[in-house]
Amino acid sequence: MANAGKWKLPALAVLVVVLIALPQLVKSSFALDIFIRILLFSFIGVAWNLMGGYAKQLSLGHAAYFGLGAYTSTIMQVDFGISPWVGMVAGGIVAMLASLPIGWLCFRLRGPYFTIATIATAQALMLIFLKFRDLAWGAEGTTIPNLGSSPLMLQFETKASYYYVVLGLLALGLLITHRIEQSWMGYYLVAIGEDEDAAEAIGVNAPRIKRDIYMISAFLTALAGTFYVQYIYFIDPATAFSFNISIEAALVSIVGGIGTLWGPVIGTVLLETTSALLQSWLGSTTGGIQLTVYALILMAVILWRPSGLMGMVNEAYQRYLQRQPARA
Amino acid sequence: MLETVTQAVINGLLIGGIYALVSIGVTLIFGVVKIVNFAQGEFVMIGMYISFYLATQFGIDPILSLFISMPVLFVIGVLIQHFLIRRVLGPNDMPQIFLTFALSLLLLNLSLLLFSANYRTVHTSYSDEAFHLGGLYIPEAKLIAFVVAMALSGALWVFLHTTDLGKAMRAASQNRDVATLMGINPNRVFAVAFGAALALAGAAGSLLMPFYSAYPFVGQVFVLMAFVAVVLGTLGNVIGALVASLMMGVAESLGIQFVGADSGLIVVFAMLLLTLAFKPNGLGGGRVR
Amino acid sequence: MTNDRQKSVLVSSADHQERGASRVPAKRPSRRKFLKVASGAIAFGAVPLRGWAADAINIGALYPTTGSMAQIGVGCVAAAKLAVEMINEAGGIKSLGGAKLNLISSDVQSDTTVTRTETDRLITSNKLSAIHGCFASALTLIASEVCERAKMPIITGSSSDQLNKGRTYTFTPFARASQFAKAQLQMSKLVSEQPKVAVIFENTAFGTSTSNGLKELAPGEGVEIVMFEPYSAGFTDASPLINKVKASGANALFSVSYLNDLILIVRTVKQVGLNIAINGGSGGFVIPDFYKNVGKLAEGLQGVAHWNHDMDENAQKVNAEYKKRTGDFLFEYAGGLVAQTFMIADALERAGSAEPQKVREALSALDVSSGFAAMAPGGKVKFGPDGKNVYGRPVGVQWQNGDLASVFPKEDARAPLMKS
Repeated sequence: MANAGKWKLPALAVLVVVLIALPQLVKSSFALDIFIRILLFSFIGVAWNLMGGYAKQLSLGHAAYFGLGAYTSTIMQVDFGISPWVGMVAGGIVAMLASLPIGWLCFRLRGPYFTIATIATAQALMLIFLKFRDLAWGAEGTTIPNLGSSPLMLQFETKASYYYVVLGLLALGLLITHRIEQSWMGYYLVAIGEDEDAAEAIGVNAPRIKRDIYMISAFLTALAGTFYVQYIYFIDPATAFSFNISIEAALVSIVGGIGTLWGPVIGTVLLETTSALLQSWLGSTTGGIQLTVYALILMAVILWRPSGLMGMVNEAYQRYLQRQPARA
Repeated sequence: MLETVTQAVINGLLIGGIYALVSIGVTLIFGVVKIVNFAQGEFVMIGMYISFYLATQFGIDPILSLFISMPVLFVIGVLIQHFLIRRVLGPNDMPQIFLTFALSLLLLNLSLLLFSANYRTVHTSYSDEAFHLGGLYIPEAKLIAFVVAMALSGALWVFLHTTDLGKAMRAASQNRDVATLMGINPNRVFAVAFGAALALAGAAGSLLMPFYSAYPFVGQVFVLMAFVAVVLGTLGNVIGALVASLMMGVAESLGIQFVGADSGLIVVFAMLLLTLAFKPNGLGGGRVR
Repeated sequence: MTNDRQKSVLVSSADHQERGASRVPAKRPSRRKFLKVASGAIAFGAVPLRGWAADAINIGALYPTTGSMAQIGVGCVAAAKLAVEMINEAGGIKSLGGAKLNLISSDVQSDTTVTRTETDRLITSNKLSAIHGCFASALTLIASEVCERAKMPIITGSSSDQLNKGRTYTFTPFARASQFAKAQLQMSKLVSEQPKVAVIFENTAFGTSTSNGLKELAPGEGVEIVMFEPYSAGFTDASPLINKVKASGANALFSVSYLNDLILIVRTVKQVGLNIAINGGSGGFVIPDFYKNVGKLAEGLQGVAHWNHDMDENAQKVNAEYKKRTGDFLFEYAGGLVAQTFMIADALERAGSAEPQKVREALSALDVSSGFAAMAPGGKVKFGPDGKNVYGRPVGVQWQNGDLASVFPKEDARAPLMKS
């Protein structure tokens, strides 16, 4: 792999430069919105991937943490005037703590039933937030106060600023994933993902590892939730705990390459671009077309390339390697 | 007070019958094919639209239309099993989960595209009528649905326990490899299981039509209840799913009556969580996933 | 491509004899101009795009033409187009040299996130002068936030009282949720001397704000609320809920719901054999689809609306035209937005400019009592500092012979109250 290694770092550097320069070159508010969406959902996908990709704990209820993060920072901001930056971290902690009992319950089930249990918990949280108006505005939700440009309060007047924030989040997520991937925890995660019983048989403390990775995954997802509220200025239970968010988190990771570092990013780029193109070709009159296409892409990936786009890239690279003459 | 409770229980049982049809299908597929069919709700939806179409174009009563919707969905089930499900039956969970999930997403959004989000209803002579016993009332359409649902469940049980094919299915659900060794063709058994499960979903759809509206998302509500029922009743256990569904219907109804009208689902989730906490294998006991 | 695809075919049958088709040819808004603009943005992404014709004035319309509220959204867009055509045929905006209005509509897909994106996109991709939308209060709240920050005036019929808090760019010419509540309470006295009301409401923004209004105002109106329950919209079975209503001893039922639940509720009440007066409030109750789905059961049911097609001559004229195009009567929200379009036109006339800020100024000074812009219960529109119409009030309606008639209060009644 010596050949590849040589190109990795420069390629990464170029990518970073491009990403940082992008908002300076592209001024269209509409395009920036798309980029922000891509970065945000990549981040959510990366967070999901830690648990769902490496450890194969396929949760479809990550919206629970997204919502908890969103609500925590909003309550802190609207009721106590605390900056959403602080709220973001607090939200992450709340999510981490919530993942403990939720994990304890859900991990008692395996496979698809784990998945169903996660869906149920996200739904349950939505119902709770719908019901308790005193706690968190109930069904009506709330908007965050219009502060114009207020970086300390995570509100900006330009899209570019939001772009940089979410870019930072994504970088954080990727960094954490990379570190874990390269560490002993990463190996344990993959072992658990391949065969949990076998892993336990050789001494991996599966319950503890699952619990830990769930906490990290929940923490990161919650950060995304806070960002989202600050970006769309509004929160209500249906938006915060939306099943669509749970779906997209898993979807981008699977399509892009489950259990790989860049998988979720590539998956998001593909899906969001497809979605944007569809909207421009067909307008937004054909409701259902976007998800129909997503569903078809997902089915195609599952049936023919379960390792996703990154998997395809890796396989192609392996084939390329095999064609190289052996080195002395 | 007693009357209120009794009425609530009756309401719960009646809707529980429909939940049963859907959840039995899920548990059957799970028991035999060993996968979770996330798209089960969408097949209920398809059953509803079939009945709607037959009712409005040809004037066929929705209940009778199940003689058409069931076979149609059976065939669809066999085809899906053959062309899609078969390819992801392996040790890995991920493809199985996401294939049926993608199927669910696909069917739901195709339906949205084709039929739009409008609610479709069918009005029959018995749609709004009810039997009155003392202070209690039993809606006709729901009673018919309940009776037919129980009959179908009973028929399935008989099939599973008396016919060769049924016994083959049970054998395959207990131990696929040994069953294969015994000469049972797994694919054939799976196809029948899938077909039967979808046929039940289609029946549920037809039975719902007289008193409920058809729209693309209608399956989602029922499928959630079905999954909870399947977990409660122990995965793969048909009787368990039936009993659990009825229990959940009643629990939901009592929850709405005495806790709050928006608390029906919360009560059901509470049941699920309690079960998960204390009896993760379900109330049916035995069979471990 | 999809421009001509007929999708909203409402077919239902009240009974077997009626071979149901009442077609609503959904006129999808022309997408081509919007496509050019949007695809240009994606492809090149660098240049902020403008409105396409030098002369025309762009009005944005945000409605849910897909998703769970699609039936209403589609009707709204049809009405929006009708309004723009009417204004253009009458000569456009004279103070701007007869400039024509150009409607640019966008689908918010009955989804809050999409609303955020679409509002933003609509504003930044086009040179708009004003926006109207979005039907559901939850969606309108988001759109109005975006408009506030983008300094774009938005005019809406959505009833949430929150829309008038802390904003300067949002205008609400019609009754507020709290006013609906008062009217509903007063109407309950039409039915009984001692109204005992059971209130059930769907648990999102619409239901919660309206029902809170009911709770607060009931004692003042001499109405006793014997039951007050939020319910989860989209339930499978209304029986437990109606069971509760029966047990409460109420003689009137107020249901604040969207269409699907209303259908179930009304039919279940019939099944239970409960003899209770139903006041369906607004929302799903006052649209043609409601009658199509429950048929005769709707006869005599009362509700409240912020606009009705029999209010005055102008409303009737617009109704006739809309009916010709779509086959259904002009329902509340759609009729209201026609009036709103005329209000925008009036503001443009006085402002003599298409600049959003100037339009906003002109709107805040709006004061009409005649013409299509004044199509409102009471016939007058004037905005207070919080964007509320100081003369705004709702009108009580009743289903009579398959159509919605205004019956309350006396000065707005266009038909006698039907006793059931």
